Amino acid sequence: MNHAQKAEIFNKDEAKVNWHDKALWYVREKRDTAAHGVKGWEHLRDLASGIKAHVLSNLDEYLITFEKNAQKNGITVHWASNAEEHNKIVNKILADNNAKKVVKSKSMLTEECHLNPYLESKGIEVVDTDLGEYIVQIAKETPSHIVLPAIHKTKEEVDSLFQEHLGTTPSNGNPEYLTHEARKHLRAKFLEADAAITGVNFAIAETGGFVVCTNEGNADMGAHSAKIHIACMGMEKLIPKEAHLGIFLRLLARSATGQPITTYSSHFNKPGPESQMHIVIVDNGRTEQLSREDFRSSLHCIRCGACMNTCPIYRRSGGHSYDATIPGPIGSILSPGKDLTKHSSLPFASTLCGSCSNVCPVKINIHEQLYKWRQLITKDVKQPFIKKTILKMTGKVLSNPKLYGFGGRSVRFILKYAPRFLVYSKLNAWGKARELPKIKNGNFDQWYKEKRKN
Amino acid sequence: MRVGLFIPCYINQLYPQVAIATLEVLEKLGVDVYYPSGQTCCGQPLGNSGYEEDAKGACQVFVENFKEYDYIVGPSGSCIYHVKKHFDILEQTPDVIKVRNNAFELCEFIVKVLGKKDLGASFPYKVGLHKSCHGLRGLKLGSCSERMDAHYSTEEDLLAHVKGLELMSLTRKDECCGFGGTFAVFEEAISVKMGRDRIQDHLNNDVEVITGADHSCLMHLEGLVNRKKQPLRVMHIAEILNSSI
Amino acid sequence: MGKEEILRSVRKNKPTLIPLPEINLDTFNETIDLLANFKEKVALVGGTIKELSALNEIDREITKLFPNARNIVDCTKSSSLGTVSISDKTQPQDLEGVDLAIIPGAFGVAENGAIWISDDRFPIRILPFITKELLIVLEKKNVCLHLHDAYELLSKRDRSFGVFVSGPSKTADIEQCLVIGAQGALSLTVVLV
Repeated sequence: MNHAQKAEIFNKDEAKVNWHDKALWYVREKRDTAAHGVKGWEHLRDLASGIKAHVLSNLDEYLITFEKNAQKNGITVHWASNAEEHNKIVNKILADNNAKKVVKSKSMLTEECHLNPYLESKGIEVVDTDLGEYIVQIAKETPSHIVLPAIHKTKEEVDSLFQEHLGTTPSNGNPEYLTHEARKHLRAKFLEADAAITGVNFAIAETGGFVVCTNEGNADMGAHSAKIHIACMGMEKLIPKEAHLGIFLRLLARSATGQPITTYSSHFNKPGPESQMHIVIVDNGRTEQLSREDFRSSLHCIRCGACMNTCPIYRRSGGHSYDATIPGPIGSILSPGKDLTKHSSLPFASTLCGSCSNVCPVKINIHEQLYKWRQLITKDVKQPFIKKTILKMTGKVLSNPKLYGFGGRSVRFILKYAPRFLVYSKLNAWGKARELPKIKNGNFDQWYKEKRKN
Repeated sequence: MRVGLFIPCYINQLYPQVAIATLEVLEKLGVDVYYPSGQTCCGQPLGNSGYEEDAKGACQVFVENFKEYDYIVGPSGSCIYHVKKHFDILEQTPDVIKVRNNAFELCEFIVKVLGKKDLGASFPYKVGLHKSCHGLRGLKLGSCSERMDAHYSTEEDLLAHVKGLELMSLTRKDECCGFGGTFAVFEEAISVKMGRDRIQDHLNNDVEVITGADHSCLMHLEGLVNRKKQPLRVMHIAEILNSSI
Repeated sequence: MGKEEILRSVRKNKPTLIPLPEINLDTFNETIDLLANFKEKVALVGGTIKELSALNEIDREITKLFPNARNIVDCTKSSSLGTVSISDKTQPQDLEGVDLAIIPGAFGVAENGAIWISDDRFPIRILPFITKELLIVLEKKNVCLHLHDAYELLSKRDRSFGVFVSGPSKTADIEQCLVIGAQGALSLTVVLV
C-alpha cells in the first residue's frame, strides 16, 4: 500500500485524526514559544546548518580524528558499512562478554538496522527502555514518530497492553499509574542487564566523546548499571568541537518538544571503572546520500522531529502511513535514497508547503528536496499508465497555445453541460468531497477580446 | 512601465471574474497593462507532479509571452513562485533571467513595486485571510509562524485599508489548506481533511468571506464549502480590492 | 571491518571543503538577571528551588523536605545526614534503595535551568539517576547565561562523565500527558547557597 492508501485508512477514524493533529500541533506551538525565547534563534539555525555542511565536506578527517581521540580515552571504535555489519558487530561484543540481557535506549539507527530481531534471533533479550519505545515493543509495532514513538496509541490501549504484559490493574489509562508501573518493571531490567545499547545525539571529533540526550534518564540508567555500553551512531552525527554543542543543544530540545533542554544531556568520554565502552560508526547508505548533491543536506538531520510536528500531512496521516523507519518530511527525503521503488509515494505525500524547512533547526530544505525526488521518481520508477499519459499529454498541450485554447474550452464545456453523475463519478477524486467550480459563460480570453483592445 | 498580465490557466478558464478584477485593479492604479495572447500555463502542475522535463515547453511559451514586459503580474502566488523558483530548468538566457526577476504576485507588486496600500476599496464583511504556502513561504509575502522574524504581511497591509472590512484572526495563521496541485487528487483523503480543518478555523472565528492571493487554494476550499453548503463565501483578494460596496 | 571502505566512500562522495562558519557569540548576548532567570527555568522544567542563606542550614532544610528519607548519600560533605557511604567499589545494584542523593553542582545555566554535575564529584556514575530524589547544591554565583558560556566553563575539565541535569526525569509518552518521574530521579531539588 502506498502512503495515500494508508492515510485514507487512518482517516476513517476522524476523532483519532483530530486528536493526533491537535496533540502534535500543541508540540509545534510549544516549539514556537521556546524558540521565541532565544535571542538569535535564526542565527543559531544558520550556524548549525553551516557546521553540519562543513562536517560533511570533511567527514573522513573528522571520523579519523574522532576515532583516535576516543581510543585514547579507552573507548573501542567499530566501523560498519551497513546494517548487517552493524548488527554482527553488536552481537559479537555481546557474545564475547557472554552478555544475554540488553537494555536499549532510543536509537533510530538501531531501528533502521533492525537490531532487535537480529539479537533476539541469537537468544539475547533486548528491552527497549524509553517508555514510548517500550510500549511499541510490547505491542509488536514500530515507532510512529522519532521523538514520540507511541503517539499513535491511546492511553486505553496502553492500559490493556500493560495489563497483559506487566499484570497491572485496569486504570482507565491513568498515565501516572502506568508510567510508574513501567518504571518498576524497567528498574529490574536495568539492574540485571549485562549490556546497554544507546544511540548517539552528537559525537565530538576533538574529544572523542559523545552526548546522549533523554528526558526519562533511561540511557543513563542502562549505561551506568551494565558493565558494557555500546553506543551506535550514524556517521553524520559528528561535530568538530565540544563548543559546538552549545549551538546544537540549544536547538535540539526546543525544536523537539519545546523544552529548553532535555532533562539529561549526558557527556560520555571514558568508560567507568571495570566497564567497557564501544562505539559503532555506521554508514548504511549515508555515503551514498553524501554523493547526491541535491539531497546531501538531509544528512544534517539531528532527529528532533519538528518537521513531523509541523507537517499537516503527517499530523493527519500518522507515522505508520509512511511505512519507513523515519516517517514524516525528513523520512520522505531520506527513505527514497535507500529504496526508491519502495518509498516512491513518500515525496508525493506533501503539498510542498515548506513548513518543515522553516522549523528545521539545521535548515534542511526538505520541501525542495521532495520536489527534486519527484523528478527522479517519475523517471526511475514505473508510474501508473494513466497518470503518466495524462501528465505527458498536458505538457504537450501547454506548450502549444492553439491546442491549449481548444483544451480549455472543452474542459469548460464538459463541466458545464455534462450530467452530474458523470462529473462526480468514482473516477473523479476531486469531486468526492468537493464541488467543481461553477462554470461561467466564457473565459477571460473571450472577455478581454470583447472588452479591451491591446 | 509596461506590465504583462499573467492569468494562470485555471483562472482564465474557470474564474474569469478573478482575472477581470486583477486587470481592473491594475488599471485603477494607472498601470499600463497588457494581456499577451497565447498564454497557457507556468508548468507548475507538471513540475510538482515530477514531470518538470515535460513542462519545459510551457515554460518557454511563458517566457516568449512575457519577455518584452518590465513586470509580469499575476493573481496567483504559487504560479509566480514556480516561475521564479523552477524556471531554472530552462537555459538561463537574458530573457529567462529577466522574466524570473520581474514576475510578481499581484499584492506584492502593488505594495512593493507601486508602493500603494490604500486602493479606495470598500467591503463591509468579516474576512479571513488564507495565506497560500507558496506565496508565504516561497515568495515571502509575509512573515511565517515558524520563523522568529518581525511580523509583516503584504495581503494584510492591503486588506487593512479596505473600508468596512474586518480582518478576523485565525487560530492557525498559516497552515496549508491541502490543495497542493495533484496532491488534491492523489492524496484525496488528507487533502480534504486539511481543507475542512482550515474552513472550520475560519468558521470558528466568525469569518464570512475567505480570501487569499492564490486562487488554487481557494478553488479547493470553495469546493469543500459548497459541497457542505457552509455559510462562507470564497473570493480572491483582487475581487475584494476591486470592490466598492 | 568497514573502516577503509567507509573512508574511501566518504572521500569519493564528499563535496569540496566548505569552511566552518565563524561564530560570533555577541549575537546571543543578553543582559539579564542570571539567577532570577535560572530559578524561573528550574521551576519550568519541574525542579524545586530552595535558597539558603548559609550552607549549614542544609540539614534542617533536608529534614523538612524529605522527612521519610532513610538511605541518604551525601557527596557534598556539607550535610551530616548521609547514611550510606559509597566508594568506587560500590556496585550500581547496591544503590537501588537510595532515597536521596546530595550532589554538588558545578554551575547552572540561566537559559534552561540545567546544572552541570560530573563524576569527579560523585564516585559512582549511576547515583544521580538511580536515587529516588536528587538534591543538587549550587552556589548562587555559579550561574552562566547560556550554553555557549557553559561550554567555555567546561573546556578545561578532565573529561570522564558529566551531565547537564534539567529538572526531574519525565515522560509524555502516554497520550502526551506529562508525568514527572520516569526512569531517573523522581524529583530534583536545587539548593542555592
